[in-house]
Amino acid sequence: MATYLIRRLLLMIPTVLGITLMVFLIVALAPGGIGAGLAVQGGQMSDTSKVAQMQAYMEDRYGLNDPVVVQYGRWIARVCPVRFGTTSLESPSGERIAVPRELPEPPMQWAFPAPAAFEVTFTPQSGDALIEEFRTLQRDAEGRRRTYVGSVRAFKDALADHVRVLGDPWTARLDPKGGADPNNFRDLPLGGGQPAPVPADAAATWAKVNAAAAQMHQAWSLAEEARQRATIAFAARPFPPAGVEVIRDVVSIDSPDFGVAFSRNRPVWDLIKTALPVTMLINLIAFPIIYLVAVPTGVLASIRRGGVADIASGFLFLLLYSVPVVLAGVFAIGFLANNQYLGWFPVSGLHDSAQATMTFLPHTDPSGVWHRGWLLDTVWHLALPVLCLVYGGFAVLSKQTRASMLDNFNADYVRTARAKGVPRKDIVISHVLRNSLLPLITMFVGIFPAMLGGSVVVERIFTIPGMGSLVIEAINLRDRELILANTFMISSVSLLALLLADILYALCDPRVAYE
Amino acid sequence: MSEALADMPQSVSGVEVMRGIGAREAKSFWADAWDRVRARPGAVFGIVWISIMGFFAVFAPLIANAHPIMLDRLAADGSVESRTFPLISHLTPTDWLLMVGASLGLPWVFFGTASLGRSVRITVLAALLAQGGATIVLSQVFVWASENSSLPWLRAWARLEAGPWPLIVAAALLSALVAFVVPIILSPVRRILAVGVVAVVSGALVWAAGAPAIVNHEQLVLEESAGRVRAVWTLIPWSPEYTRSDMVAQAPGTQVANVLHLGGFRGTPFGARRTWLGTDALGGDVLAQLLWACRLSISIGLVSTGISVLIGVTIGALMGYFGGWVDLLLYRIVEIFMAVPTLFVLIVAAGVLPRNTYVMMAIIGIFSWTGAARFTRAEFLRIRQMDFVQAAQATGLPVRSVLMRHMLPNGVTPVLVDTSFAIAAAITIEATLSFLGLGPDGQASWGKMLSSATAATGTFVWWLAVFPGLAIFLSVLSYNLLGEAMRDAIDPKLRKAAH
Repeated sequence: MATYLIRRLLLMIPTVLGITLMVFLIVALAPGGIGAGLAVQGGQMSDTSKVAQMQAYMEDRYGLNDPVVVQYGRWIARVCPVRFGTTSLESPSGERIAVPRELPEPPMQWAFPAPAAFEVTFTPQSGDALIEEFRTLQRDAEGRRRTYVGSVRAFKDALADHVRVLGDPWTARLDPKGGADPNNFRDLPLGGGQPAPVPADAAATWAKVNAAAAQMHQAWSLAEEARQRATIAFAARPFPPAGVEVIRDVVSIDSPDFGVAFSRNRPVWDLIKTALPVTMLINLIAFPIIYLVAVPTGVLASIRRGGVADIASGFLFLLLYSVPVVLAGVFAIGFLANNQYLGWFPVSGLHDSAQATMTFLPHTDPSGVWHRGWLLDTVWHLALPVLCLVYGGFAVLSKQTRASMLDNFNADYVRTARAKGVPRKDIVISHVLRNSLLPLITMFVGIFPAMLGGSVVVERIFTIPGMGSLVIEAINLRDRELILANTFMISSVSLLALLLADILYALCDPRVAYE
Repeated sequence: MSEALADMPQSVSGVEVMRGIGAREAKSFWADAWDRVRARPGAVFGIVWISIMGFFAVFAPLIANAHPIMLDRLAADGSVESRTFPLISHLTPTDWLLMVGASLGLPWVFFGTASLGRSVRITVLAALLAQGGATIVLSQVFVWASENSSLPWLRAWARLEAGPWPLIVAAALLSALVAFVVPIILSPVRRILAVGVVAVVSGALVWAAGAPAIVNHEQLVLEESAGRVRAVWTLIPWSPEYTRSDMVAQAPGTQVANVLHLGGFRGTPFGARRTWLGTDALGGDVLAQLLWACRLSISIGLVSTGISVLIGVTIGALMGYFGGWVDLLLYRIVEIFMAVPTLFVLIVAAGVLPRNTYVMMAIIGIFSWTGAARFTRAEFLRIRQMDFVQAAQATGLPVRSVLMRHMLPNGVTPVLVDTSFAIAAAITIEATLSFLGLGPDGQASWGKMLSSATAATGTFVWWLAVFPGLAIFLSVLSYNLLGEAMRDAIDPKLRKAAH
């Protein structure tokens, strides 16, 4: 059993990796790539050079400009508790420690020659002071790089404005979005009469292009200097120590790091820590209800096979099974919770807004007013969401119970028991039912992932702050860290549930032995 | 004595003696299963509802359309100045393909007296429709790619008034080639001919539909009330994407003229119309959207299940036939896909990928094939040991022949029984994704309507919940009932237990 458990746990690792890789690739292959949500956020800004700066910041901070495989590898390295080496590749404030990137060349050098290259020399500090110094230098380099990238964008915008003034043959070469790629304008009339003088009516815009170019070159010099300083400091290995050493200098163990959510600017783990218990609570309430309703019904249906109870429960459960969760949710919230109709239940949330002042149990205060208390309030809020989660499982489980009971009723040992004169009640309960319960454990496997998915919908409809709401939010904002961490958690939880089902199976049935 | 003699056959052949005189030929497996399915009222209900949905899916453009069938522009003295047919000029290539295919193809399949057998006719029709569909999809992909391309000349081409027709012709020819490589039926010459004709015709339709004349509906309705035009409208003069800001959230049964409050509307066919199932929060007609959404539901159910069956049967057959390390390796992939919380990954995928029907069909298919693979694998493992397969292998038939002609027809039954449930699941998933706002853009969808029932203002619009909800429920129920009946009809274990 122990070997089996270890093997199963080890097999879970490639499975989880496979799922997360799949999700990562889907997110990366989507139009706009991983940073698409950021681009959308930036798109609301009017100043394009600010958008370019914002994008450069995000690329630096999250490594979005690297190839997808590299980004995925980096994510795995952060999440995996076993680390190679004993140093962290991240500074305590969550920034990546990396060589500052090369600066892009200033565009349009044939018209505006770039400043001459230069070499910076300086001696970095050592020890903890180096880590601190590198952080400052890296921030400085990134900040100046952003300013430079923004100034390039501003230069291109000035160029586009100028081209629009120049008129027809030139405007056709602009991008469909109105931007100007300098490479399309190699034969543009330049100042100083080379090859043709700038027309008089475009003199103002041409002056602006020149000013933008000067600004761009100045930004380039500053950024280049900061970059070289940070590169020299990086060569001195400014990595902080991390984790607990297992093998000296080679392997260490550290807690998994899910990173920081782009959209909320909070550690992903904090968000999951508040959301996961809510989802688990709903699911853990729903499961016993499914089993308590479906198993007795299935048993009854099998005892009186073809009888009224059998046919009625089969038909009713098939009807319920055909109702999608979205439909049940909308009907429940519309007819049962909305004040236009019955209004018996709360419309949203997990607790009343006054929950902080509530006592745990219901009580009547001295003035004779009844308070429902925290516990009852929670039950009241959870009633409809749980209802929406459970009804679909009834059909599957009761059908399975019925089929498995019928199989056992035909078995030889039941015939023997009957021949011996064992009372029918005893046959049903202690012979048939006991042997029929085994397949029901494995049903857990089938229902659980479906319920996790279903709870996404239920949480969305009833505005419950669980994993489902977090997932939808992460997707709408294209928050890579949040999507990946959610995928990781949900697939781990469902894999663990599958494992639990197998262990229970072995515990219940002595014939089952995992070797 | 003489009567008895008259009943006797005149002559008896040896073959007849061997079969047994007077014995009737046994029903085929599928005919027998079909009769069992038809004997169940639930299954009949399912078939009827699916047929109704199919009818609306095909003919929705003729029933609910904001373009009038016939439009007469009247001169000042009331004489007809010009006569146009906006509805016909606005039908898309998909509309044409579906309507022509359904109104000519289905009668040909079921009542035709051609020398071809019915199954052959079904195959031909399916192949032609699939290929026409492929042409349209390909041409749309080309148009989309050329519009979003980084090459300036390609973009310029896509902006041409008549549409980028050379690309479409290329797409048609390519699809013809694809359909030729994928074997359908008939002799090679006829196959090339059929494929070529359909590809060229559908390609031409795609091109012709490139730039339809623009009709301003609001303007048209105003002109009609002023008596400047005379229009013959369809039964529901409302397209799913057509909204009137003055008809927002009207209850079922409201007469259009009563809402618009302009005397001129009272006499016009448009104004006399009642919104039978009400209008939504944007002023679109619920009934029109309900009918048009049949198309999305049916097509997503069928195509995504087709994709998943194709992937599942292929992988399952490989695992079952070859066994060994192929089985080991592929089964790991199956396990990964089984452990995936499907709906969750679908939500992620639908959220980040383009909001488009084809993408949605593909992702639903790609994440739901494990059942088919496991069924096929189990069947193939069983069949592999059987005498007829051993015999086929011993006679030196190629692997392709053993797999495709001997094992596949015998091993695919459990998968086919399960398809009905898979379609039901796909419809549910589509409704769920559309409900979450992750459905295809610009398409009427039951799930999308359902999500607008609970508006942001907190009011609950019951007709937006009940009618689409009922449609989803009945469709899912129909496929589930049909699946239940098929499983009972085909599953030999259950059938034995019933005796």
